[in-house]
Amino acid sequence: MLGVHFMMEKGWHIYWVNPGDSGQPPSFNWHLPSGFTAGDVQWPKPERMQSSPTLADYGYHDDVLLAVRIQAPEFLNINGGDLQFSVDAKWLICREVCIPDKAQLKLSLPPGTDNANSATAKLFADTEKTLPAPWPRTWKAKLESQTSNFVLTIDAGKPINKAFFFPLNPDQIDNPSPQLLRVQPRGAAIALRKSELLTKPLARLSGVLVLGDGSAYRLDASSIAAKAVK
Amino acid sequence: MKKFRYSLATVGVFALATFALAARVGEPAPDFTSVDNNGKQQKLSDYRGKYVVLEWHNQGCPYTKKHYESGNMQRLQKDWTAKGVIWLTVISSAPGTQGFVTPAQENEYLQKMNAVPTAVLMDSGGTLGHLYAAKTTPHMYIIDPRGNLIYNGAIDDHPTSDGSDIPKSKNYVSAGLTEALGGKAITEAATRPYGCSVKYKD
Repeated sequence: MLGVHFMMEKGWHIYWVNPGDSGQPPSFNWHLPSGFTAGDVQWPKPERMQSSPTLADYGYHDDVLLAVRIQAPEFLNINGGDLQFSVDAKWLICREVCIPDKAQLKLSLPPGTDNANSATAKLFADTEKTLPAPWPRTWKAKLESQTSNFVLTIDAGKPINKAFFFPLNPDQIDNPSPQLLRVQPRGAAIALRKSELLTKPLARLSGVLVLGDGSAYRLDASSIAAKAVK
Repeated sequence: MKKFRYSLATVGVFALATFALAARVGEPAPDFTSVDNNGKQQKLSDYRGKYVVLEWHNQGCPYTKKHYESGNMQRLQKDWTAKGVIWLTVISSAPGTQGFVTPAQENEYLQKMNAVPTAVLMDSGGTLGHLYAAKTTPHMYIIDPRGNLIYNGAIDDHPTSDGSDIPKSKNYVSAGLTEALGGKAITEAATRPYGCSVKYKD
């Protein structure tokens, strides 16, 4: 794993993969030794930041590690000297104002050794715990489309008292609108106001569901015809 | 199950009430009166019969700077006002926030940047911004001669603050005005605006 660790001063934030109504997610261009490949950014669960009744963004405050999985080639010459890794990172950081910034970060690692120091290892391990988990196999999620809202119904086999849905794609739900949750014996129904930019029916709604206890799950709910709900 | 459906319907009504004012493409654009950079009242309905562009602006925002320091926005203002389009730049930054300016400061800026909007609306109270649910700077709207909103969204298809992206970008405002003035419906009439958040007082 390689990651870019953002340590922000109080009040500043950067953005999630879907930044919400304003902002821009960080971007990374990795330069790797021959044969190495980098995976996608592993985005920790985001926070919602509402700056006015009509504006809400998704991102991170304080401290966040944005990591990617690096795949080493099957055969690696361990006598070829240190391996050079670098990344061109670009990000937008905002408080009341926004500043676009960039950096080229470099790392040199000897092949064949586990170079992780304990502080870094802990940072990666702690970050791992903030990544949304796969959707539990026994849980169900369905999406019903109404005139102005989607209703996302979760069957988790137990009541859900508190939850927040973060949409992976922009232009599907209205970010600043309150998400209204109704507890059910086996989960919850959450009303999400449709985005004004949503012009055609939505087949699936993907995102991250964060529950009251902080646990987060990757959700992919397929849409059902409204008449199927009786 | 009946009770469940009833509750969800109630939920829908509550959410609807909060956002009844937002400007929607295909519907009449909300009318407004606002004071401009020369102390003159500007009323949207006075421009019936003409196309009107609304441009949300914050001179300190990196995304606004992208389009002003490159001359892109000024070029759009010049080209389209020459064709009879009314171009209203709107500043909704609250006093003490980024982008708030006095009329004198704004006039100085317009001169320095060679910007040529028809007028700049001084909306530091955010009334006009909230009326149109303007989210970002820039955030662009086009209103047709009958007063209907025909475009709501981004200035172009490259949501970055990097001016070098402009030559390879599709400008939605130019594309929309070209189609509209040619008697056609706008192909991409609603897009996701990008930029800094509008610096409202609340």
